[in-house]
Amino acid sequence: MSENFKPVTLNFGPQHPAAHGVLRLLVQLEGEVVNKAEPHIGLLHRGTEKLIEQKTYTQAIPYFDRLDYVSPMCQEHAFALAVEDLLNIKAPIRAQYIRVMFAEITRILNHLLNIPAFAMDIGAATPMLWAFEEREKMLEFHEAVSGARFHAAYFRPGGVHQDLPENLADKMKTYFTNFPKFIDTLEELLTENRIFKQRSVDIGILSEENAIRLSCSGPVLRASGVAWDLRKSQPYDVYDKLDFDIPVGKTGDTYDRYLVRMEEMRESVKIILQCIDQIPSGPVMIENNKITPPKRSEMKNSMEAIIHHFKLFTEGYRVPKGLTYRCVEAPKGEFGVVLVSDGSSKPYRCKLRAPGFVHLQALNFLSKGHQLADLPSILGSLDIVFGEVDR
Amino acid sequence: MSNELINKYSVGDIQFPTKSGLLSMLVKKELILEIIQKIKEDDKLLYDQLIDITVIDNVLSKQNYSNQRYTIIYSFLSLSFNKRLLVYSNISEDDQNIDSITQIFESANWFEREIYDLFGVNFKNHPNLQRIMNDYNFQGHPLRKDFPLTGYEEVRYDENLKKVVYEPVTLKQEFRDFDSESPWEGMKETIKKEIGN
Repeated sequence: MSENFKPVTLNFGPQHPAAHGVLRLLVQLEGEVVNKAEPHIGLLHRGTEKLIEQKTYTQAIPYFDRLDYVSPMCQEHAFALAVEDLLNIKAPIRAQYIRVMFAEITRILNHLLNIPAFAMDIGAATPMLWAFEEREKMLEFHEAVSGARFHAAYFRPGGVHQDLPENLADKMKTYFTNFPKFIDTLEELLTENRIFKQRSVDIGILSEENAIRLSCSGPVLRASGVAWDLRKSQPYDVYDKLDFDIPVGKTGDTYDRYLVRMEEMRESVKIILQCIDQIPSGPVMIENNKITPPKRSEMKNSMEAIIHHFKLFTEGYRVPKGLTYRCVEAPKGEFGVVLVSDGSSKPYRCKLRAPGFVHLQALNFLSKGHQLADLPSILGSLDIVFGEVDR
Repeated sequence: MSNELINKYSVGDIQFPTKSGLLSMLVKKELILEIIQKIKEDDKLLYDQLIDITVIDNVLSKQNYSNQRYTIIYSFLSLSFNKRLLVYSNISEDDQNIDSITQIFESANWFEREIYDLFGVNFKNHPNLQRIMNDYNFQGHPLRKDFPLTGYEEVRYDENLKKVVYEPVTLKQEFRDFDSESPWEGMKETIKKEIGN
């Protein structure tokens, strides 16, 4: 760098289309080269952990949808597993299949937002329009089971809220059998695209060693060549009964992260189709009215059912004293819940471990020495959503 | 699995029993750096990834907490052995300091800043101990149990002054904190007692 250049500090965001939300970055530039990129977060801090401490376990579920708002069901999953762990219960097998199925739909939804947004950041506008059409179709499945497109509050401690509506499994089967064709067309637009590759290959390289050192998880860790997936290594629900592969990258650059996500979508389709074939019939919620509400029809005839209903929606259920940590492989990485109960009907402490928080921390390391124009590319490939980073 | 090291340094349990199946150890605050260095490097443990750091404020828990106001929880993952470990340490109200582990795990940086911001625990030798979640000039530590849910200050944009102004919180309606918990312990307990007597 010639001596005439003085380092310039640039304020990037908090409102910027490539900031993926409310990220404020203080970028120290030497000419076009990034010396240091210091993220300032917290602009979307809502105090979720504090709010959860004031609510019963049932009332806490909707807060999980609003963390990473593009993959809501995976986060409910972690909370449901943690509460079940403290209560010493297990969801019925049908509920476990439904959960896995919808967690995978959520994963595809998440990747279908991230990949085109990443592509848009580096100049490709069409994938966004195409992917959103497919997302809309998949959100109809969310709506069919829970009544809501995004904030589903569908996974509950003890199972899922409702059984699948009639014919939904058939509809899903038809849709997901054809879905890989869409992935192919999306890939035709991007994977061999000259501009796309020029702006993503060898950008933001994260070696295996550094990925582990910086506590990365999920697709970011896998793109760096570490074959680590909680669905395989520490399986929860019925993941151990399903057959799927873990895509792994080689160089750990932004292009590899894109490829890993693309391949993960194909694996998710495989999982969903297997679930539809294997799913047994049976209850979708444990039938213990001290924890789960009684059926509407029962409440018409049974005084006890009404009492149970009343107690569950005022006091809630009490959870035995204890501390647990449960995590799931959310689309962005390891999402975990440290849940502490003091024996009352409200959580004593609920810490949410968000993958995006850790990945954003690595941004400074990744962007050092790159051009300013590469910064959105790196940011897009890390898959940051501020709902979970700021909590 | 080598549990020797864990047994050697563990000095009991915290007041919330850890769920079985989770490996955990409570260690002395002064030894935290030494122990974390060891569990990272011991070839039988190799906890090479820091997953999370968090704190529990014990002040409201029903048991006597003997001045150990905060419990800090470090969560580690060993990718080589596929094992998790929780390391606890108690921090007293009088001395709210603990050594920063950023020199061992670089990713501890933001976790420690978050705890400093939300709980007010001070990390010694931290490279950049600033607030991270809250506003730049925020007062207090929101996740402490004695911090009110509604907070102390609210902000709004003032049309006349053309800027954002900070004001003390005014509630249109008094804060409602219903205690819906019944003193009734449930059938089973009563029956058990009667049989026991």
